[in-house]
Amino acid sequence: MIHVLYFIVFVICVYTARHYWFTLNRLFGFQRHPYIDIDTASWPLVTVLVAAHNEEKVISNILSALMTVKYPEDRMLVIPVNDRSTDGTRAIIDEFVTRFPGRIQPFHRAAGKGGKAAALKDAMELVKTEVILIFDADYIPGAGLIKQLVAPFFDPEVGGVMGRVVPLNVGTNLLTRLLDLERTGGYQVDQQARMNLRLVPQHGGTVAGVRLSALREIGGWNDNSLTEDTDLTYRLLLAGWKTAYQNRSECYEEVPETWAVRIKQIMRWAKGHNQAMVTYGLRLLLGKHRATLRERIDGALLLGVYVMAPVTLLGWALALAVFFQGLAPLHGVIALFSLTAYAALGNLAAFFEIAAAARLDGTRPRICLLPFLILGFAVSIFSVSRAALSQVSDLVTGAEFHWDKTERFRKVL
Amino acid sequence: MNPFLAVAGLVLFVAVMFMLPLVPALVELKRKSDALPLNVVQQNAGEIRHFAGSFRTYIQALEPILQRCVASGETACGTLPDGVEYLALDRCEDPRALPIQQPGAICPVTIAAASDIVVPPETTFVRDIYAGGRFRGGDNNSYRAILGEKDVHLGSFSRLTRWVHAVGDFAADPGCELSGRVSSDSCIRLQGACNFLRLNAPRIETGRVRANEDSIRSNPEDHAVEGSETAQRFLYDGNFEVRAGELITGNIVARGKLHIGSGARIRGSVKSVGDMVLEAGASVQGSVMSGKQMLIGPDCVIHGPIVAEHSLLMTIGTRCGSLSHPTTVSAPRIEVEEGVAVFGTLWAREHGAVVTIP
Repeated sequence: MIHVLYFIVFVICVYTARHYWFTLNRLFGFQRHPYIDIDTASWPLVTVLVAAHNEEKVISNILSALMTVKYPEDRMLVIPVNDRSTDGTRAIIDEFVTRFPGRIQPFHRAAGKGGKAAALKDAMELVKTEVILIFDADYIPGAGLIKQLVAPFFDPEVGGVMGRVVPLNVGTNLLTRLLDLERTGGYQVDQQARMNLRLVPQHGGTVAGVRLSALREIGGWNDNSLTEDTDLTYRLLLAGWKTAYQNRSECYEEVPETWAVRIKQIMRWAKGHNQAMVTYGLRLLLGKHRATLRERIDGALLLGVYVMAPVTLLGWALALAVFFQGLAPLHGVIALFSLTAYAALGNLAAFFEIAAAARLDGTRPRICLLPFLILGFAVSIFSVSRAALSQVSDLVTGAEFHWDKTERFRKVL
Repeated sequence: MNPFLAVAGLVLFVAVMFMLPLVPALVELKRKSDALPLNVVQQNAGEIRHFAGSFRTYIQALEPILQRCVASGETACGTLPDGVEYLALDRCEDPRALPIQQPGAICPVTIAAASDIVVPPETTFVRDIYAGGRFRGGDNNSYRAILGEKDVHLGSFSRLTRWVHAVGDFAADPGCELSGRVSSDSCIRLQGACNFLRLNAPRIETGRVRANEDSIRSNPEDHAVEGSETAQRFLYDGNFEVRAGELITGNIVARGKLHIGSGARIRGSVKSVGDMVLEAGASVQGSVMSGKQMLIGPDCVIHGPIVAEHSLLMTIGTRCGSLSHPTTVSAPRIEVEEGVAVFGTLWAREHGAVVTIP
């Protein structure tokens, strides 16, 4: 038992060190933004896919925004991927098609497999351009965003691009404020540090892009994946394509406003991530492919982030068990130290990261909310552990995953 | 002491200590003093002409006054709606028309001229300048911002802190320090020893560009390829060398250094994670990207964007982009020899310099 605990503590220490490394890199290291200055070029043809499933509350916002971006009109085609919507999404899209002839080509999908990856896969029959950008329907791209997301594709090594997601409904309640802090840490520090250190920036599946030839090379969208973005990240990596992260290519999104929606969202992410870990983890670490050593290590750690929740819970249980065994005092002390060390150092690393990220964003008072993140972490740790357990039980019982769309909170315009 | 009270006191103390960090959190949650979304630039796409456009709109308030100056041939001064003092003129070919008494003086007002304007040397202009015609600056001047509706020409060793935009040509004599944005709708010409950060024009020249540069030397079948165009990819995990005179069709990615021999032609894009060297006369139809330093030898022709993540040296005769296919050249530190032409944007994040060839 104690050896399992030692191992868990070791893994936690690795993740803690990783948090500190990323944060210190962002604060003091060399920052890579190689493509952000490309403002003049022969801009390529681009297709913008907007994934939409019952999005009547938000779809008009993104279509309006896309019609006003500063990208040559004759070089950009928007394809709203209306995936079996039963609300007013189709009517809204068709109205935009009429208003902007030749600039929007709708893809109305009436049947087929559920999930974003399956919808995108079907929509590919309309895509003719080498550069594809993907947005979820609740995002609102700014005027310069399309050029910024296209620019990295001038680099022949880049197969995927990811921009930064910024919550729009920050001030709604405690949850949205905590999610704002989490997003800040995840993008401003984690993603940019991975970009700086030439590790594995993660493709987020929205505010993102992919090169058609790279996508074809890796076999297209994987509609069996629960998180097509993580799946894409790793298949690109294994094939020698890079995912570029553009920290200054920011786009507003809507974050969940209720805990129930948040829990569903994070459980889906956890299941998808774990699925990718099982599918690609071993191959990434030990297989013969084009990823570098540092990418292998970082990629493996990234794949393991959602497993850390049940592992940490197990560590807590083991630490208490070892302590209360009372048979081996030394072990008991070590267990106690392990528990307190994690509480002091492990958590602090994540807090430090988020505080640094908020500081980099030039915001200050919101850092005061950091203590409340314990609440967010507690909810996440149990939700993610529950997701992992249900995934195991699904495996045993053969139950199929049910795709849950994240509920929107914006008022219908 | 009563043990019950002691325990209760301890519990209370611990509870207070536990709650203490939550006090500022609760205050912020209640006040929402920092609960707005992060300020993401939604409408301004970072165009180099943004400030010039805003200033043109701002200066339109002076349009009737400028017209009166044109009709009467006199000057006018006053205060703009935001309290900024101005001096309005018809034209100013005699520097004595300006409120500047001696060399080394500071001109504290916004200057707006309906037509051409010539300003004396050794002067600091702390406010923006608008020239309805040509603008000609004396040597050793300091400017905040200039908008010229025709050509703008800065004298030697002039300094610019914010921006300049010329609807016509922009020229800077040797030794100028251009710390802000410089744009022209026609052409930018920088002489030797000029420093710069961000330049944008259909054509940017350093020093004297050879007359026949306009007729591109490359093969007629060469054309600018879009960096995203589907092309075969050659991926090398270490260093790679393209031999002199070799023709390669496809994109090249080297995880180490990349050396492109003299006269080699790449019909695609190239990328090196390490240093990159392009020997004399090499041509690349797509983009050129280096994760470290890049040296572009004499007379190279590159059609697509050029990005070096650390530093870039471009030598004489090199031509980047074309009038019909403008492009971007970007690196934190850029040195450009005289005799280089860039069509589009030349952007040095930290320091750019025109190097004089002895």
